Amino acid sequence: MSHRLNLCLSLYRRLANAYPHEFRMVYGEDLDRLGEDAVPEAWGRYGLFGLVRLLADIALRLPAEYLDEIRQDVTYALRVLAKAPGFTSVAVLSLAVGIGMCSAVLSECRAIVGPAPGLRDPATLATFIWTTVSYPYFERYRDARQTVTAAAAVLGPVPFAVAFPGDKGKQAERVSGHLVSPEYFTTLGVTPAAGRVFGPETEKPGMAPVVVVSDRFWRTRLGSDPHAVGRGLRLNGSMATIVGIGPRNFLGIWPQSPADLFVPVTCGVSLAPELSGEPLHRSDREVFRVVFRLAPGVTLPAAEAALDAMTRNIDQESGARRDRDRKGHVVRLMPAGTVGYATPEQHALVDTFNVVLWALVLSLVCANLAGLLLARGSQRRREIAIRLSVGAGRARLVRQFLTESVLLSLAGGLAGIVLAYGITHVLSSLPLPSQIPLEFNCQLDLHVIAITLAIALAAGVGFGLAPALSSTRADIGVTLKEGAQAPLRGYRRFGLRNLFVVGQIAASLMLLLITWFVALAFLGTARLDTGVEAANLDLVSLDPVRDGFSAERAAALFTDLPDELLRVDGVRDVALTGSAVPSHGDATHLSAPAGDGKVVLASAYRERIGANYFATVGAPLVGGREFDPRDREQDAPGSKGVPATPAILNQTAARTLFGAEDPIGRRIREGEENYTVVGLARDMRAGFLVSKPVATVFLPLTAEWIGKSAARPVTVLVRGTAGRNTMAAVRDHMESLHPDLTVFDVHTMQEDLDRINSFARWTSAMYVILGFFALLLACIGLGGVTAYAVVRRRKEIGIRMALGARASQVQGLVLREGTALVAVGSVLGVSGAFALARVFAAYSDVLARSFGQRENNLILLVGAPLALAGLAMLACYLPARRATRIDPVAALREE
Amino acid sequence: MPANSTLLLHRLDVDYIMMHIYIMTSTDPRDFLPLHTNWFHILLSLVGCEQHGYGIMQEVLQRTDGAVRLWPATLYGSLKRLIADGLIEESDERPAPELDDARRRYYKLTRLGRRALELECERLEAMVRMARKKRKLEAYG
Repeated sequence: MSHRLNLCLSLYRRLANAYPHEFRMVYGEDLDRLGEDAVPEAWGRYGLFGLVRLLADIALRLPAEYLDEIRQDVTYALRVLAKAPGFTSVAVLSLAVGIGMCSAVLSECRAIVGPAPGLRDPATLATFIWTTVSYPYFERYRDARQTVTAAAAVLGPVPFAVAFPGDKGKQAERVSGHLVSPEYFTTLGVTPAAGRVFGPETEKPGMAPVVVVSDRFWRTRLGSDPHAVGRGLRLNGSMATIVGIGPRNFLGIWPQSPADLFVPVTCGVSLAPELSGEPLHRSDREVFRVVFRLAPGVTLPAAEAALDAMTRNIDQESGARRDRDRKGHVVRLMPAGTVGYATPEQHALVDTFNVVLWALVLSLVCANLAGLLLARGSQRRREIAIRLSVGAGRARLVRQFLTESVLLSLAGGLAGIVLAYGITHVLSSLPLPSQIPLEFNCQLDLHVIAITLAIALAAGVGFGLAPALSSTRADIGVTLKEGAQAPLRGYRRFGLRNLFVVGQIAASLMLLLITWFVALAFLGTARLDTGVEAANLDLVSLDPVRDGFSAERAAALFTDLPDELLRVDGVRDVALTGSAVPSHGDATHLSAPAGDGKVVLASAYRERIGANYFATVGAPLVGGREFDPRDREQDAPGSKGVPATPAILNQTAARTLFGAEDPIGRRIREGEENYTVVGLARDMRAGFLVSKPVATVFLPLTAEWIGKSAARPVTVLVRGTAGRNTMAAVRDHMESLHPDLTVFDVHTMQEDLDRINSFARWTSAMYVILGFFALLLACIGLGGVTAYAVVRRRKEIGIRMALGARASQVQGLVLREGTALVAVGSVLGVSGAFALARVFAAYSDVLARSFGQRENNLILLVGAPLALAGLAMLACYLPARRATRIDPVAALREE
Repeated sequence: MPANSTLLLHRLDVDYIMMHIYIMTSTDPRDFLPLHTNWFHILLSLVGCEQHGYGIMQEVLQRTDGAVRLWPATLYGSLKRLIADGLIEESDERPAPELDDARRRYYKLTRLGRRALELECERLEAMVRMARKKRKLEAYG
């Protein structure tokens, strides 16, 4: 034959050899022989075209045959899976619950710090971490074009007494708003729904006052008036014109304290008493919060460094002093523009925690799958041996097992995605725990889903394939003779299956304990952290200066008020305060002379309180005395230059300034004033995931302060008696004595704490649910594996029962093995949980507190393992019971 | 299956097993209509006798005067499908020794295959009748 024909024939032969093994077994010879005949014939009849067609035919048929085999594989796999419904449903359920839970929870946690509505490109916004600055400083920041493209200063939240022109005789409403620099809206990238927003050219001092209202205000108070822009509004007694309406859902840069009115800082003091004393030109009135729009390409750390350096320069110029943190910075930045605010450390903590949980759940799922698939794989060794001996190709068998595993994993994965969407949908429809009227749109994070799916699928495929790969290498003859009962190499006491069961129990126990620890920690936040006794504590706010009282009248009012109210029936304690729970809104600097002539600096938050405050809130002082009514007068210095104005420090402040020494009687300096420390208060904490208590100085509510800062309302704390409606009596009393005084914001301390902690409670509920899911997952896995183990031992159990074993003995046999595994797993799980808890406690004070609580520990450490062990034993018990019902004769006959 | 024949299976048993492993979709010959052209020719070749693959190919080529050429891979692929669907089966008998090639596999029609072929022929005849009737009308109209 010619060279061409030989080439064609060899190509033909090579292609023919590539056909699937089973096809070749049946038709291989024929195909080869036919080819030998067909090649010369095709050449003779059709020439080159014929040879090409011949080769094309065999080449194109090749993938078709493989596809056909795959189709058979899939069909067969489906039948096999359908024939073992228990195994299939357990495996798919495991995967679904695991994937669904992981994806949903992790996505949800990221959504909490989702972007605030109405802003453009929130990712490039930043703000100082809880630091307020003065307006001249802000103007310097604003001009740092290399770091920030824009900056805005905000003073808020600020209450406005709103009245509509023409509404005579009605009491003004209090609406919360922000005083903003003219660049506010352009910095945030907010486009108005109607009218215009502020700008540096249009907002100058001396111009007619203007206001931008929120969409919510326009809907609720202005009745969606289409001609709202241009209408007048009386704010704090002065007329202002509405020039714009904000976009939908926009409530200011900090949605957690929503603002309905936006007034430029150039509006003048008659509209906004907060602007008295020329804060726009003074460097010592540090009341403005700044929002930056970072320049493109500038990262947060870079911006932080630049602004920090700038601040230090300005400080040097003006001679101000600030203390530095651990890294030597005086100011720090965090991302703004999100619904919830968290410092980078808090972020990192929550993120790490969630990732750890996610990893635990995922490993639980993988352990489940492993146990199930390996157990099943050992069951099918005999089937594999038969098929190998009958002529199935090794590759074909492995491919078939692969198909089964892939189908199973895909089914589980799809179910998991559906479940994840379902969970996030439910989460999205839950009411948010705070007053923010925003939509909580929890979207599934695609990255999370992708990674979770990939890992779960890899586990499913890997563990499904492993028995196939090992079985196809085994000695066929041996396998066939021994039957399915032969122990595989490696399935000894410390074998793979037992390892996985133990791993499962340990992982699920860890998950349970950690999530319930955290849940308990958050639930305990309310009472522990603030340190106040919330029962029967009512609050009411008064703002006499805004109601038209003169400074002297207001001072007189507050002097007499506590005594007046104490006369009301049922009232046990009364105190006045600037804010009920330390609000951390007013930062200041303290200094104290140290022994060696140096001066110790501390930054602290400043709270204004009246007499009897600590007794009323139920957090008695650790040392010294409370303020008493005499302290309301800011006297001239008392004896020998010792300032008579008292101050109370909390423990953290005292420690910073004076170390271990007794602070009572020592002198401190705050701003321009000198004070004598007369009392030492316990640390009170408010806020979620705050890692350390902050230094606080308590200053008395002096008449001067009341007159000076007409901006602030005063809150009256009233401790009533249980069972009585004390508040009603108080309000009646106030009505009768001071009819022209607006009494607003009446609520209980419990409501206040609830509001602060609602977020924590909501999150803890999630974690509890997660814990339950983990339990469910563990039980699914354990039940499945144990049931399988019992099925494997049917013959042995049958023999035992035939030889006279009682049902209880058989059950004991099965349970004993299970108990050992559960015990080992429990020990591992508890120790693992402890280790993890310690790590997290080091980062979060809240968790550390809960972790140290005796009752918590006992409940959890005893309860959780018991619960898990109980369920595990139940999972083992049911198959064990079924085992005793086996007919010995039938079991023995089974081969 | 008795245990001692496990390792001594004839090739035929493999087909038997494989046939039972594949899903048999239906036993109604009507489900196979319309018959694929290749299948029609293969089935036709097996009417009344048994053939091996090469013989089928030759006969088809001859019968259609070279119009239909069954290339090897297509032929065996179709034979495989036909066996899977139950229209043909491997023959146990061998033809007369002088015509027999001992190495080759022989195929024959099953009842289902025969029935399907008959139905297909009827269908094609019916179609031709319809065409003729139409042409007559055309001629007259």
